[in-house]
Amino acid sequence: MLSFHRRPDSEPTVAGEARMRRPVLGRRLSVGAVALALAVSAAATSGAIALTAPASAASNLVIGDLAPFTGPDAALGGYYDASCLAATTAINKDGGVLGHQLTCQTFDTRGDPADAVPAANQMFATTPNLALVIGCTSDEAASVVPVINAKKMVAFCMTGQSQFDHVHYPYFFRLVPPDLAESYAMVAIAKYHKHYKKIALAFGNDIGSQTFVNPALAAIKKAGLKVASNVTLDLSANTFRTEAETVVQSHPDVILTEALGAADATFLSEVKQLNGGKMIPIIGTSATIDPSWFSSVGAAIGKSTLAKDYVADNLVVATSGPEFTPFNDAMKAVASKVTSDDSGSLETLLSGPGAVHLFDGMNLAALAMIMAKSTDPSVYKADILKIGDGVKGAVVVHSFAQGKAELAKGKAIRYVGPGGPTSFDSYHDSPGILQIDGYKANGAVTVDGSISTAQLRAVS
Amino acid sequence: MSLFIASIGFGIVTAAVLAIAAVGFTVQFGVTDVLNLAYASVMIACAYVAYLINQAGQSVWLALVVAAVAGSVISLVINKYIYAPFQRRGTSATAVVIVSLGILLIIEFTVQAIEGPANVSYTMSQGQTFVIGGLVLTTVQFIIIALSLAFMVALHLMLRYTRFGKAMRATAADRTLARNCGIRTDRVVTLACLITGALCGVAGTVFAINSGSFGATSADLFLVLILAAVFLGGPGQPYGAMLGALVIGLATEVSAVFITSDYKYVSAFVILLVVLAVRPRGLFSAGAIG
Amino acid sequence: MSQATLFYLANLLVYGGVDAIACLGLSMQFGVAGVSNFGYIIFQAAGAYTAAVLSLPPDSANGGFQTYIGGLGLPFPIPWIGAALVGGLVALPFTLLVGRRLTGQVAAIGLLVTAVMANLLVNNFVPLFNGAAGLSVVPAPLHNLLNPQSQGYQWGYGAVAVLIAIAVYFFFRRLTESPYGRSLRAMRDNSPVANALGKDLLSLRTVTLVLGGMAAGLSGGILVGFITLWSPGAWGYAETIVLFAAVIIGGTGNHKGAILGAILVPLGFEEASRFLPAIGAPGLIAALQWVAIGILIVAFLWFRPQGIIPEQRRRIFAKARAGRSPSDPASPRPPRGSPPDRSGSGSGPALATAGVVVSFGGLRAVDGVAISLERSRLTGLIGPNGAGKSTLLSALAGTTPVSKGQILYQGKDITHEPAYRRARGGLVRTFQLASEFKRLTVIENLLSAVPGQRGDTFRGALRGRRFWGKEEALAIDQAEALMEKFGLIDHADTYAGNLSGGQRRLVEIMRALMARPQLLLLDEPMAGIHPTLARQIGRSLQELCAKGMTILLVEHELAFMDEFCDPVIVMAEGRILAQGTMTELRGQAEVVEAYLVG
Repeated sequence: MLSFHRRPDSEPTVAGEARMRRPVLGRRLSVGAVALALAVSAAATSGAIALTAPASAASNLVIGDLAPFTGPDAALGGYYDASCLAATTAINKDGGVLGHQLTCQTFDTRGDPADAVPAANQMFATTPNLALVIGCTSDEAASVVPVINAKKMVAFCMTGQSQFDHVHYPYFFRLVPPDLAESYAMVAIAKYHKHYKKIALAFGNDIGSQTFVNPALAAIKKAGLKVASNVTLDLSANTFRTEAETVVQSHPDVILTEALGAADATFLSEVKQLNGGKMIPIIGTSATIDPSWFSSVGAAIGKSTLAKDYVADNLVVATSGPEFTPFNDAMKAVASKVTSDDSGSLETLLSGPGAVHLFDGMNLAALAMIMAKSTDPSVYKADILKIGDGVKGAVVVHSFAQGKAELAKGKAIRYVGPGGPTSFDSYHDSPGILQIDGYKANGAVTVDGSISTAQLRAVS
Repeated sequence: MSLFIASIGFGIVTAAVLAIAAVGFTVQFGVTDVLNLAYASVMIACAYVAYLINQAGQSVWLALVVAAVAGSVISLVINKYIYAPFQRRGTSATAVVIVSLGILLIIEFTVQAIEGPANVSYTMSQGQTFVIGGLVLTTVQFIIIALSLAFMVALHLMLRYTRFGKAMRATAADRTLARNCGIRTDRVVTLACLITGALCGVAGTVFAINSGSFGATSADLFLVLILAAVFLGGPGQPYGAMLGALVIGLATEVSAVFITSDYKYVSAFVILLVVLAVRPRGLFSAGAIG
Repeated sequence: MSQATLFYLANLLVYGGVDAIACLGLSMQFGVAGVSNFGYIIFQAAGAYTAAVLSLPPDSANGGFQTYIGGLGLPFPIPWIGAALVGGLVALPFTLLVGRRLTGQVAAIGLLVTAVMANLLVNNFVPLFNGAAGLSVVPAPLHNLLNPQSQGYQWGYGAVAVLIAIAVYFFFRRLTESPYGRSLRAMRDNSPVANALGKDLLSLRTVTLVLGGMAAGLSGGILVGFITLWSPGAWGYAETIVLFAAVIIGGTGNHKGAILGAILVPLGFEEASRFLPAIGAPGLIAALQWVAIGILIVAFLWFRPQGIIPEQRRRIFAKARAGRSPSDPASPRPPRGSPPDRSGSGSGPALATAGVVVSFGGLRAVDGVAISLERSRLTGLIGPNGAGKSTLLSALAGTTPVSKGQILYQGKDITHEPAYRRARGGLVRTFQLASEFKRLTVIENLLSAVPGQRGDTFRGALRGRRFWGKEEALAIDQAEALMEKFGLIDHADTYAGNLSGGQRRLVEIMRALMARPQLLLLDEPMAGIHPTLARQIGRSLQELCAKGMTILLVEHELAFMDEFCDPVIVMAEGRILAQGTMTELRGQAEVVEAYLVG
């Protein structure tokens, strides 16, 4: 039971006129400081303009990408932005939503919950035509979701944290599996698909990664497997040799891992080194299906090794067929803008949860707006459920364009995108069906098998 | 038991990297009187320079030499055009430390602005893995240890037996007195910056080689380890810094075996705080450099 | 203006209040007392965690997704009070780091290391505060009575935060502008000298750390109530750099500057950068923002080290003069309430030593010295350079520890008493090197030495000017008389650091006299002083001796010795060579050889 309840239906208060004051900067500053001071006050002034004259681009709707752009998880924000660019470009090409074009705007939470709250409030203050929020990773979800919910804004969040399985936030949606389910899936892969007996755990010491540890330990016990070793990787450290040696000496059949930033790259290369140049198989979380994870780990242990010895649990995502084609086309159309190197980023993006599920989320929201004939989240949010779960007799559509056309004909629709069919529970979680993914040496993601519900139940 | 022995090996590797960095830091501190916290950011900047050379298809060992040069240049520029003017003006030592924090932010995030938040690795082979009496070390790690020992011996010979080394020790002990004795202290400081800067560049590259993967802010925690090694040995004491690096390197890796890896840095810092409480000037507290 | 904008502004108000409180605490530590606390953020974190676990229900009660100690479910405002108290308590062990043994850079680094270590510990020890994930769904204050997400609540919260910031400002200002605050600033400018004048550095630093810790803890408590979450990600050591940047840019030693800094840096600058148009790769602006903070720190320390709002020079003397009623005769006036007769009762020498040895490493700077200073005499101490005169003085005053031997002061063994206690007992020294408090005015330098002031305790300072003002007025009169005598009356409100070398020596002598010494140790007081004035001072010293003061004076000028000092002690190579009147000494061959000729 949670003792803490938010009241989402607060009465709006009358908004008064207020002017943003320029910061008090003395004129007695000496030359060098003046330039800097000017930069600051210029920034504040532009802020003032944004605050008082926001209506310049009224015909555009904004999708806010509220995520870390600095700090250890800095890669996430840009990753989601790529998905946003792809989705909005495709939607705009098809005439947009109710006559509006969609644009993406980024808001940096710095991966710090204390910085995330003003970031969220600033987003609301300066983006009057905000229509949807994406991002909100485990780094900041706990502090910003209550704020977003109180502002009655729909958010598709990339967090698996379990408190969102317990607290009801009407405007909160997620299409990624809860961390619990992922932990079970990893153990199920180890037991039923790879027939491993001894399992090592190596998770980063950040919020997102540590949540896997306890459920995984419980699942290993339940499955009758053995924990060979369990190490925590300090993300700010620069070597993990003793941790790697601990793992190597425990002779595990497999390592379950998620440590973002440079940690997994360093750790896994040390494991390989200390194991006589031979890699121990890895099972990653869905968060390791990520372009920057692939490129840093691939560079550290070799891309072909990574391709050979790695699998991860991931939600069932389409890699071909009618669900995949529109997504593939959309990503390819913006490829030159979202990837800067040839490290297989685009290939990874095409299966990474951050790209796939947010893409689906944005399409769901856009279609719901058309269906509700409103861009007001409190109006269209109900239609997200209808379009996602489908009503009886609904036409299944696989792209925004298709859905828009069917809606225009007055049909009910069910959207099934690259992330597969959704089924929302009462907390707006769509746990999805988990499968086994791997990498090719070029970073493309492969499907290596499926995980049955029976298998999941047996370890949970 | 075998893990314990292996962890001693890793501790020595960590200590080897740390020693290069800490000795450079402490000599720089001794001669310039600046507790240069920007040192870690210069390390990373040099590691990035080496990365660029390495990406251009050159061997990482050539890149190491270029990084050393880059380290010399950056250190000299920072000292000559930023720290020294502040000191001449009589800015307090603590304020100069804060200046160095500012420089740390400037360099580190300039690197991040250019390179982005992603982590990179050198293109290189770790070489063969050797198992000797429980120690598990690769060719590259042996090279790192040898490199570190070579630098320590070279520094020792320089400080003890060359005119310049003696001038440097005199300058560190008392700059005014050294100047009155006819030592051209400005030149000594310049040369010391070049030498310690080169150590810093080498340390950065070796750090990155050792880590396998690094980013713009990777050395933040390493800076604290450097400080721990330096203050453990007594600031300004090269031999103290060597000892400090060895203690900190071993403490982090060995404690990861006995406690849990979560607390490996905590144990190193506890050692430092205890030493500071008992011997505030570090283990090597008498005299200045040498 | 849209409602969302109002929400954002309310949000800024809260953060402004929180940042201001945190900056005020740092300003007290760094700006006023000169303690460079690079571990400052720990206090804020401690407060935030405390407030969180005091207001959260037991961890078993919330779905089991987080574990933590405590979980008392206490109502507002207990969590805030707890936050402030724990912030202060956590500061106590820090005094070990910045107390007597560790100072300056070493202490700063020790604190930095501690901050990093504390973060690692909390991050990795999950049962304490739920590790990396931190504590979430922390109940907002009064959440069961009010709706925390309503416009009114948010503005109210901001208003409370700002009001508390204002209260903290007045509290710290009251302290800083008191004699106690003057002692803190004296410690900041030159701690060994402050110690030699009777200031207990350990106690001053402890109070500063605890007060700053309470402010930071309170700011953390207020912040966590607003964002309802606290995790190690929120208090990396970079946050301390931001606060330092704020205090430096706003202005140190001046609490208005701290508030301005809080508005400009953590609030203004970090928030303003959110409004910059997104250019380049994602994250570029964020990285450049840190670069800019770095540039600001360096640029301000170079171009305007005093900050935007510099520390105000306190024109105490001008004010005191203006405050006098016109019928009151203007200066010069004899000091009201002449200094208490502290010439000491009893007989025997004022000070006696036996076998005092001071060694540095292998070198014995003072090697078995036995002297005895007659009461009410002006004793001279001469000797060649390096004879150990200054070291002996330091050892007598307690600045330098004695390796061997015994020091008796008025018959009492003080060999192991700390310097400040000796000073409080009337044993006062001056220093060979310039040792004025640079950023205190001349009169403040003098007033800082007055022993046992009512306002020079923490409690006394808090009771306000009404409590200590009258006594201070008397001290000002005394200082005025001295300044008149020494010809520095026109510089009363000038920073001592801006005076000429000779004038600074005078300040030092006057300051020592203000300390009402019974035994005064003067280390080359006449260096750089015009001979005419030197003679005048010599006569004053003689007068003081006639009234009961004992003086030991190191001086190179033999003419001065001839005229004023009797007896004169000769030192060479750490030992006492001879003692007697100058005439007698001139007759001793070995003295002449060692010193008078050589």
